[in-house]
Amino acid sequence: MSQAPASRPGRRIIPIVEVALLLIALPMPWMLEEFWVLFATKICILALLAISFDLVWGYAGIMSFGQALFSGVAGYVTALLATKSEVTSIFVLMPTAAIVGLILAFIVAVIVIFGRRIPSVVFVAMGTLTGSYVIERLARGWSWVGGQNGISSLPRLTAGSFEIEEGTVFFYLALGTLIVTYILVRLLVRSQFGLVLAGIRQQEGRIAFFGYNVQSYKGVVFSLAGIIAGVSGGLYAFHEGFVGPGQLGPVLSTQVVLYVLFGGVGTLVGAILGVAIIELISYALPQIDWLGADVTAFLETGWPVVLGLLLLGTVMFRPTGLIGLVVTDRERIGTFGRAKVARQPGSTP
Amino acid sequence: MDVVPFVFDIAAYSAIFVLVVLGLGVIASMMGIFNFAHGEFVLLGAYTVYSFQEHGMPTWAGMIAAPFVVAFIGLILERLAIRRFYSAPIVAMLGTYAIALSLRETVRALLGGRFYSVNAPLVGSFVIGDASVSQWRTAVIIITALVMVGCWLLLTRTTLGLQVRASLENPALARASGISVNRVYAGTFAFGSALAGLAGALMVPMYSISADMGVPFLIKSFLAVMLGGMGSFEGSIAGAALVGATSAALPWAIKPVVADLLVFVLAIIIVKFRPEGLLSKTRR
Repeated sequence: MSQAPASRPGRRIIPIVEVALLLIALPMPWMLEEFWVLFATKICILALLAISFDLVWGYAGIMSFGQALFSGVAGYVTALLATKSEVTSIFVLMPTAAIVGLILAFIVAVIVIFGRRIPSVVFVAMGTLTGSYVIERLARGWSWVGGQNGISSLPRLTAGSFEIEEGTVFFYLALGTLIVTYILVRLLVRSQFGLVLAGIRQQEGRIAFFGYNVQSYKGVVFSLAGIIAGVSGGLYAFHEGFVGPGQLGPVLSTQVVLYVLFGGVGTLVGAILGVAIIELISYALPQIDWLGADVTAFLETGWPVVLGLLLLGTVMFRPTGLIGLVVTDRERIGTFGRAKVARQPGSTP
Repeated sequence: MDVVPFVFDIAAYSAIFVLVVLGLGVIASMMGIFNFAHGEFVLLGAYTVYSFQEHGMPTWAGMIAAPFVVAFIGLILERLAIRRFYSAPIVAMLGTYAIALSLRETVRALLGGRFYSVNAPLVGSFVIGDASVSQWRTAVIIITALVMVGCWLLLTRTTLGLQVRASLENPALARASGISVNRVYAGTFAFGSALAGLAGALMVPMYSISADMGVPFLIKSFLAVMLGGMGSFEGSIAGAALVGATSAALPWAIKPVVADLLVFVLAIIIVKFRPEGLLSKTRR
């Protein structure tokens, strides 16, 4: 590669991927059967969770193994509201889910992020993972929230007198939430705020010496991610009609990490791709029947083994994830804000 | 309720936990790798004993074989995958998580998702005063003590231990002094795996074997390692003893769920304010 000309931005791939995904997603309910619409809705909801993780790890360098904690507790709180006090209005439940996510994320941030010393990345990872594990234990042992069985047969969400059924309507609800969230997060990480975040990710100490209050930035972004995770958890609970301890624990938390890693860290669209592809693989693996009876019999229960190996391969050989196959490093890192060029007040959101 | 069997219960649980944490601590502090597959090494140790019993061989033979089998598996994994993760703690966590997933699900497929029990090589109990104490638990405590003393002697009194400590302290200098750091790392990883395998083998007569048996140990062990302080042999043991004994003893006093919660939250808060560990003398 030659020096000067190579620094000219090449063809941008990410917008193409974004538009392609949108074009695939929009007409889905007309083209697919009921089952696949439900499947696609689940992918949209999990993609929200993946975006919240990508925001904290891919952009701010905070290793959170606790995203399922925020989404799961938000799911539990909304489910309890719906079953115990019979609130089903989406305009009450989803803001509640968001606020629960925000508060929890803030509490976790107080423990693992704030403080005079810069906590090590291992401590943050372990702290969030422990939080997730503890909450799962708590939910399993607490019979008021359903214990091992969780809370099942949730009522449907309502908007006014309209019931939001699983299927086409719920799909567009989830997709709409995903698109709005995506655009907002995209604006955030490409702003001057996002530039500070990227600086923290790359070289935390140096950003602190510049006079930025690193801890506050991390706390803010962690709490924002908590909101997204909370909304995702609320939607997930009502889409499945069920919340259980499994949605709180380290298993889902780690799965989110793997989604993002597989799709590509720090691109947002990679997170969505990762969710879609891993979920499709998980669905398809047990169905393979063209490799002989033995393989089918093994895959029926053992398909996570293949998934594990696939993920190991990604971690070892493709640290930039699938999106790294088509997107250059330059585009992945991207550009930030327009404060220098335009100098308009209010141009930095 | 009698005090002696109660104390023995706690001591036996703590002993096994110390073995698990020691293996994890050696790997974490030496190579900076938080091995998410450690719980699965415990599981593999237990599975070795189980398959010995299934094939009609005595369980004690399985218990002797388990550490070697697991060490061998650990060695292969280190050569194939783990060696790429040195000095990248997060990548290591995720990579070992993927390994753990594969190992756990393989064992699950082999076990068919059921619980099995394994007979202890020593059945029966001693009578001390008017309390009776399970022989097997006593044996577990003695074996753990012997292994710990053995490890300590190995690390502090032999040339091999010196090389290991040198590689831990300063890999570059150790390499310059003609120590094959790569080989030491591989050996240490295998050794840590062996300890987990031994713990699993000793544990299996007391708890039944199932694919998820290693999971609860994992997070507790991480906390114990961080509590004791990374990079010190005594620290890992102290942290393990503390976390193990508390989490085994507290459920007798308060509800198990609350006890777990308390142990974890306390551990995290202590680590937050003393990131260098409880035993460390260096202050900032």
